[in-house]
Amino acid sequence: MAASEPSRYLARSLPRALVPSSRHQAFCWRRNVSDQASSRAPSAALSDLESTSLSTSLPDDVVKTFKPLERARARKTQLPRSRYQFRSPKYDRGPLHPHRPPPPSDPSSRVFVPGPFSLPRVEQTWQSTVASDILTLLYVHNPPGFKPPPKAPRLRTWDESSPYHKNRPLRGPRGGDVLRLLRKPITFNNIPKIERITLHSYVKKAATENSSWLHVAGMALQAISNVKVETFKSKTSVAQWHIAPGRDTVAVKAELRGENMQHFFGKLVDLVMPKLKDWQGVKGSSGDSSGNITFGLEPEEMALFPEIEVNYDMYPPKMIPGCHITIHTSAATDKDARLLLSAMGVPFYGKMVN
Amino acid sequence: MRPLSPVLASLANVFRIPITRAPVRPTLTNEILSSTSTPTSPRSFSTTSALSKRKESGYRGDRRILLIRYFLHHPLTPRPLRFSRTRFLRHWTIHRAWNLYQANQRRAHELELQRQWQSMQAACEELRTGAGDGGKLFRKSMIKTGVFRDLVPIEYARLQTEGPAREGWNFEWKRD
Repeated sequence: MAASEPSRYLARSLPRALVPSSRHQAFCWRRNVSDQASSRAPSAALSDLESTSLSTSLPDDVVKTFKPLERARARKTQLPRSRYQFRSPKYDRGPLHPHRPPPPSDPSSRVFVPGPFSLPRVEQTWQSTVASDILTLLYVHNPPGFKPPPKAPRLRTWDESSPYHKNRPLRGPRGGDVLRLLRKPITFNNIPKIERITLHSYVKKAATENSSWLHVAGMALQAISNVKVETFKSKTSVAQWHIAPGRDTVAVKAELRGENMQHFFGKLVDLVMPKLKDWQGVKGSSGDSSGNITFGLEPEEMALFPEIEVNYDMYPPKMIPGCHITIHTSAATDKDARLLLSAMGVPFYGKMVN
Repeated sequence: MRPLSPVLASLANVFRIPITRAPVRPTLTNEILSSTSTPTSPRSFSTTSALSKRKESGYRGDRRILLIRYFLHHPLTPRPLRFSRTRFLRHWTIHRAWNLYQANQRRAHELELQRQWQSMQAACEELRTGAGDGGKLFRKSMIKTGVFRDLVPIEYARLQTEGPAREGWNFEWKRD
């Protein structure tokens, strides 16, 4: 074995060109910009295939003026280091602090979320069909030059029949103390749209038994929503369940926006709702009269979500929670929100109450 | 093979590390040991770990809940993006370009809706004044009661998909 190798002394004594190199010259097709394009070109056929970006010659004035060292020396202020790593501060300490985190849209922010990278079919349907349909259905024509008659102010003044009326705040509207949202006529710039969806689940057993009920409920909500859940303590006291306000953590909530929301709504409408047994639809009286519709799902209906269905063995079956789904729309009234949701595939039944 | 120290042996038992005591030839001591004492891995057919088999061990809950708790509290927050200057500039450029593209698309969609609304307005004005029926057709068309009562028919309220195709079945398809 040693005899077959060329001796080290022999290799040193021979001129360098004669030493057999490990890489064979004929197969080394790597070219540099510095050497001539034609001298190293392997063959005409291969050079046709190759792009000629390496062999293009720059104009002379560009070559002459390219002096990176002088340019770097002439620079007044130093560039940030090549390994410069901006670390956004963890906490926003207010507008007077010298070092504040960048806005969330900045890629260096800690809360920056890239995307959206997909066009969910809910968004696609809304853009291509539902928006113009609702615009057409709710179009109210006013002749040019029409001005609606002025309405009475919603907050009424007191009649000055008593001296005690002086400096009182204004009276509330007729028929109740609630100042409802104003419904503007729907035009091209305020077409109702789904803004966010809230999943909420009240787990009674989390207070009466142990916390595992809450953990399983949170995990199920996270699985179907792709959003980290928040937990909430009870605000009311329920004597039968031994729930005291401020002591027992009983509820989990997930708030979906953007892409998560669109995908969740798509799954709800396309996969879960057709499989619900003996389900007529969302009740027509549901809603908070300002454009947010709520309905509920039973535990066995929650199990129809594909994320739970494929991994059903992961959850103890009796611990899968039911949940309330609130769909917040940008509509100001329930009837507009209901029209939007029915155009997106949510059925309604019963008397429609605004 | 040197026999394990009692501490190591108990640790190996706890962590269920199989210790193969394979002497070259059976000696007398091994014969006696194997005949009198239990074999070295008595729990080889049991899936219960030794700790949870004990009576006084604390946790005797559901394994699924244990796993759910583990993954629920597992921190998955990624660290913020840290790039060198060039890579950050590249990233920022793509980010701004993508935002610009999306804004252009939104703007185009809004303009399209505005165009539709304006052409509706022109058509309704024409119907009101130029139809020659005293505006009866226009007044009929402005009645909105059915819209909020009947809503959109469920057959039309369908999220758009790439499939199934309009025909539903490709009758020309043949197995090769």
